[in-house]
Amino acid sequence: MRVKFTVNGEERTADDVWEGESLLYVLRERLGLPGAKNACEQGECGSCTVYLDDTPVCACLVAAGQVQDREVRTVEGLGSEEELDPVQQAFIERGAVQCGFCTPGLIVAAHDLIRRNPCPKDAEIREALAGNLCRCTGYEKIIDAVHTAAAHSRGEATS
Amino acid sequence: MSEQGIGAALTRVEARDKVTGAARYTADVVLPGMAYAALVSSQVSAGRLRSLDVSAAKAAPGVLGVFSHLDRPTWHRVPAIPYFGETRMPFSDDRIHHAGQHIAIVVASTRQQAAHAAALVKAEYEAGKPVPTLEKALPSAYVAAQGNYVNFPQETVRGTPEEALAGSPVRVKAEYRTALISHAPIEPSVTTATWEGDELTLYDTSQAVVVHRGLVATAFGLPEDKVRLVCPLIGGAFGAKTHVWGHTLLVALAARRLGRPVQVVITRKQMFTTTGHQPPTVQRIEIGAERDGRLRVITHDSTNSTSFVAERPENTVLSSVATYAVPNLRTRVRLARMNFGTPTAMRTPGDGPGSFALECALDELAHELGADPVELRRRNHADVHPQSGKPWSGKNLLECYRIGAERFGWHRRDRRPGTRREGNDLIGYGMATARRVEHHRAAESTVDIRTDGGVVVRTATQDIGGGTLTTMIQVAADALGVAPDKVTITVGDTDLPPGAPTFGSITSGSNGSAVRLAAQDARGAAIRLAVGDKGSPLHGLAEDAVDVRDGRLFAKADPRRGETYAVLLTRNRVNPLRGNGKYSPAESQYETSTFGAHFTEVRIDRDLPRVRVVRHLAVIDCGIVLNTKTARNQAQGGIIGSIGVALMEELRQDPVSGRALAPALTDYHVPVNADIGQIDVHFVNKPDHNSNPLGAKGLGEICSIGVSAAVANAVFNATGRRIRDLPITPRRLL
Repeated sequence: MRVKFTVNGEERTADDVWEGESLLYVLRERLGLPGAKNACEQGECGSCTVYLDDTPVCACLVAAGQVQDREVRTVEGLGSEEELDPVQQAFIERGAVQCGFCTPGLIVAAHDLIRRNPCPKDAEIREALAGNLCRCTGYEKIIDAVHTAAAHSRGEATS
Repeated sequence: MSEQGIGAALTRVEARDKVTGAARYTADVVLPGMAYAALVSSQVSAGRLRSLDVSAAKAAPGVLGVFSHLDRPTWHRVPAIPYFGETRMPFSDDRIHHAGQHIAIVVASTRQQAAHAAALVKAEYEAGKPVPTLEKALPSAYVAAQGNYVNFPQETVRGTPEEALAGSPVRVKAEYRTALISHAPIEPSVTTATWEGDELTLYDTSQAVVVHRGLVATAFGLPEDKVRLVCPLIGGAFGAKTHVWGHTLLVALAARRLGRPVQVVITRKQMFTTTGHQPPTVQRIEIGAERDGRLRVITHDSTNSTSFVAERPENTVLSSVATYAVPNLRTRVRLARMNFGTPTAMRTPGDGPGSFALECALDELAHELGADPVELRRRNHADVHPQSGKPWSGKNLLECYRIGAERFGWHRRDRRPGTRREGNDLIGYGMATARRVEHHRAAESTVDIRTDGGVVVRTATQDIGGGTLTTMIQVAADALGVAPDKVTITVGDTDLPPGAPTFGSITSGSNGSAVRLAAQDARGAAIRLAVGDKGSPLHGLAEDAVDVRDGRLFAKADPRRGETYAVLLTRNRVNPLRGNGKYSPAESQYETSTFGAHFTEVRIDRDLPRVRVVRHLAVIDCGIVLNTKTARNQAQGGIIGSIGVALMEELRQDPVSGRALAPALTDYHVPVNADIGQIDVHFVNKPDHNSNPLGAKGLGEICSIGVSAAVANAVFNATGRRIRDLPITPRRLL
């Protein structure tokens, strides 16, 4: 089948898509967007989190056909070459990245959290990001990064 | 802290690529004409394949080939142990040693087609009677002979342990168990193989490209220089990518037969069953002590499971051999074979489970004596190595205890268990010592200074997430006297000078030393060039009268007199100026280890006894810290990984078949964000120049050792219940 949808603001088409294919497969293997990571293929780890319209989803659990005429935004579509998204910037500054494999999913999930809750508390951050497994960082710096990004998004200076 | 690099909280150099999705991992490498493989797994855990029908798979859409033991692959030789995963070569016969064993590889044009066809392979088994669990294997436990993976003393005796026990006024004796646990890195193992004639290139998630190249070459009967291994970035490993496992060889085999590149991404389930795990252990410890707490004797008897295709003992007993000053000792390690995949190194092999047993036993002794656990450990401090008698190259363990107790507020601990409460919570404090042998490996690097003032470091180590790219840049910048942002680095490719593996906490000390030597070599050559060059303002000076800072060479006596590397090299038409560094660890008069102390506070709801680590402090002595930012983060991660080991991680097995009941991240619980309390890390940060030229030692493992014991000891302090089996789930406290 043919699947037509918008990815990171750009109209894209994938041909000869098998009905069983996931959105993750289409993004990574057909559209050359390997930012979302393939880590469990069963919705356990959150490494492939992308926006589907306005909702963060595990791209590995979304059938490719479901995205027809809809809008997908991946980590590659947050921020630009000239200006990173505040969440991306904060992850760099705060050292919230180690091996980086969970990072693209975490960035999208954190981006969504700050959109919904501009001033999240520690416990809210921990709860909101509990579906994104990270095996390296131990999460502490990720919390710092979300606070920094939230403050930046609110227009506050951070130390 | 050096202004030029070492110790600075430099931001990770590859962080931008990682947050934008631009970073390329092994699975992201797409080669022209690449086909995709899927591995078929055995459904039984013992026996043999009666038949394997691949006809439907071969006829499925897109399938290019199906290979199995029926194709009789000819392996040249079994690669050198210990960094080859198993002693049995894949597909070498029809025998099944564990569920999940690879029994066929299917290659197709797309990943989906390969996975689909793999499901069409029909295997019929003559099922054998498996040894399902360590418990069932225990009666046949044995002491393994030296050789292959058995590379440390399986039995050690010091003094007269039996007599010492009989004469000890205080004795504690207990049995501890650790669970079968899994690395569960977020990135699964991936291999892409491509041949050009008899030259093989592998893109492989490898913690040691240089070591693994040799193993692959042996399997295929190729000279080493005909094999190239590439691994630029790894998405976490923790030991799962320390060894070459069967899939790597099978993909290379398939690529050769099909004459095109082939990639396999191991499934999450296969990660649990075919790339190693930490085996469960049963450890019996008996301690005899004086009434004042001085240790007279320790006996430590440990058994761990292994597979039927490899003998892999866990060096748990080293904790008892090498941590405290104890005059009498007896240790023994035994193996018990079960029908499960082969165990392997996992953060932290030996010392993780071993320190759990020893450090809990010491806590039991402290309770028995009415002594303070920190004081008990101080009293038994090993001023020299307790087995060899050699001095330590550097040891600041007493400082770890002092700083830790102070910062944590250890004095607030009530030694009567179960007495501190807040609302419905029981509160407990626990602590433990950490000790890890520092391993050294030969490593080489080059450092090039270019006419534009830029610097390039080339070394075939790899970054598994610990921050190697950044710290190696800092080491080079520091030694050269340039700003770190002038330095770039290339790693993860056997075409580069052979670097150190990234396992066993080796990278900082060994590879860092190679980079430092290379940078010093380049700097020395530049200074020699300048003082001998009539066109240089430094002409005629003695070499040691010249210093370098911010890329500028200058006379120490008159800093205004000088020139930059760029000007010097451009004028002399040297591009690049190359420094070579070769670090070869020598026989040492010292014993080298890293040390630390862990302090933890748990809270446990009295009605639903779920243990929460609300506060943890680690004080770590790992020589000089190369980058405080990446180090702190790595240590926090190691601590949280071990909190997982203490409280939740267990790959449960079916008691009849031995199969992993739920090899998935939904059931193999690792800590998630919501599980974590406050994790504090403090570094002693004193260079250990007796250890290596850099004075830095490994951090990746020491940060995780002793954490599970500290948690268990805190649980005892909170509840009065001594839990000797990991993980400490609510069920064990009900």
